[in-house]
Amino acid sequence: MSDREHLEGEHFMSGDEACSEGAISAGCRFFAGYPITPATEIAERMSDRLPEVGGTYVQMEDELGSMAAVLGASWGDAKAMTATSGPGFSLMMENIGLGVMLETPCVVVNVQRAGPSTGLPTMVGQGDMMQARWGSHGCYSIIAISPDSVQEVFDLMIKAFNLAERFRLPVLVMMDGAVGHMYEKVVIPPLDKIHLVTRRRPDVPPGEYWPYMPDEDLIPPMANTGEGYRFHVTGLTHDERGYPAMDPEAQDKLVRRLVEKVERHRDEIIELEEDGTDDAEVVVCAYGITARVATIAVERARREGTRVGLLRLITVWPFPEDKIKSLARQVKAFVVPEINYGQISLEVERSVAGMARLALVPHMGGDVHNPATILEAIRQVIK
Amino acid sequence: MSNSVIKSKQNQVFVMTEWCKGCRFCIEFCPQHLLYESDETNSKGYHIVRMDDNGNCIGCEMCSMVCPEFAIHVVTADEEPEKGEG
Repeated sequence: MSDREHLEGEHFMSGDEACSEGAISAGCRFFAGYPITPATEIAERMSDRLPEVGGTYVQMEDELGSMAAVLGASWGDAKAMTATSGPGFSLMMENIGLGVMLETPCVVVNVQRAGPSTGLPTMVGQGDMMQARWGSHGCYSIIAISPDSVQEVFDLMIKAFNLAERFRLPVLVMMDGAVGHMYEKVVIPPLDKIHLVTRRRPDVPPGEYWPYMPDEDLIPPMANTGEGYRFHVTGLTHDERGYPAMDPEAQDKLVRRLVEKVERHRDEIIELEEDGTDDAEVVVCAYGITARVATIAVERARREGTRVGLLRLITVWPFPEDKIKSLARQVKAFVVPEINYGQISLEVERSVAGMARLALVPHMGGDVHNPATILEAIRQVIK
Repeated sequence: MSNSVIKSKQNQVFVMTEWCKGCRFCIEFCPQHLLYESDETNSKGYHIVRMDDNGNCIGCEMCSMVCPEFAIHVVTADEEPEKGEG
């Protein structure tokens, strides 16, 4: 291994750069993308770094092609990724759904900016959280995670690739422009301290391989194209052989499994950070850069004598509804600040199910919340 | 349009020779290695695919699924309509 393959040590870098380094340390060796602010630096660094480590960087014609190339690379045994922002994320949606249907491990990074449409290209937003969940057509489950610091971008890129390889689906890393462009210290640990997961391989001879025959955990072992395992992948509803199966029974069997393979492993997937929620009367629930802004409001509220906890969603999808439900039985109210007009707050509201009050603190983007706004919402909600 | 019917003992592979563009995908993917590129050409000049008719076709239909031109279809023995039907 060349010493450029894993830049162990302390660094001062941006969230976008840490994203690239996390990917490379996770074993990513293929990137296809189209530059877009505020995700451009990911593509830029990957174009520098991938050739150094024997990987492939392709600047594609657009985001549709980028996502298609990532799926193809993954079937050829590469850990593959792309990075984009809102407008490109919309264009990738169709092939993200294909990735779900073909059960193709890959990572899609969305450094969110303020939308809709072109919006504020260089400025922060969190408006793609629901698109991450429901953006592609049809019914499926997805995994999305959201880092709040540059160090965590590095760490979560490793986690994202591990989840993608484990569960065979596109994993969405929902960064935001603030975290992407923020410069902070990053410690890259020695490679032997990083836990890496690779996709499960078939242990049967090629003639006996059924590409979509799941193991007990609902995840089928995956052979690479060109290894001698002859198989067929299609976006059509398919049976265990991978052959098109045009009937409601096959549809029921396949879609249930695509959803259940995520939902059944919620405990394995979901990662949360809690601060002072044990005896809290109010819980602020936030993710990404907004969670970091919210800590200031939480500290100020505590100084005023309010028992406030912070629940930070590191995993946003699948949504940690069980955690919210159990907190809802204990607290008076939830405060949900986010840089949109209310997306994850809808999920919190659903999970709370009337057991506690809920205050959304919307912010339309362009910059982050003023902590005073969140503090005021905390004061109002317990009045 | 002339079609080529390749019959094996159990299964029949139909190649629409005028649609074949000689991409060789079916040849690559046939697990029994029965298909080959023949010397014959269609009207566009593509060498069309043929099959060694030795009865070894297992009816897996991989050739028909990988064909980008939908130029191949397979009728397996269990699908073949009985005489007088239809």
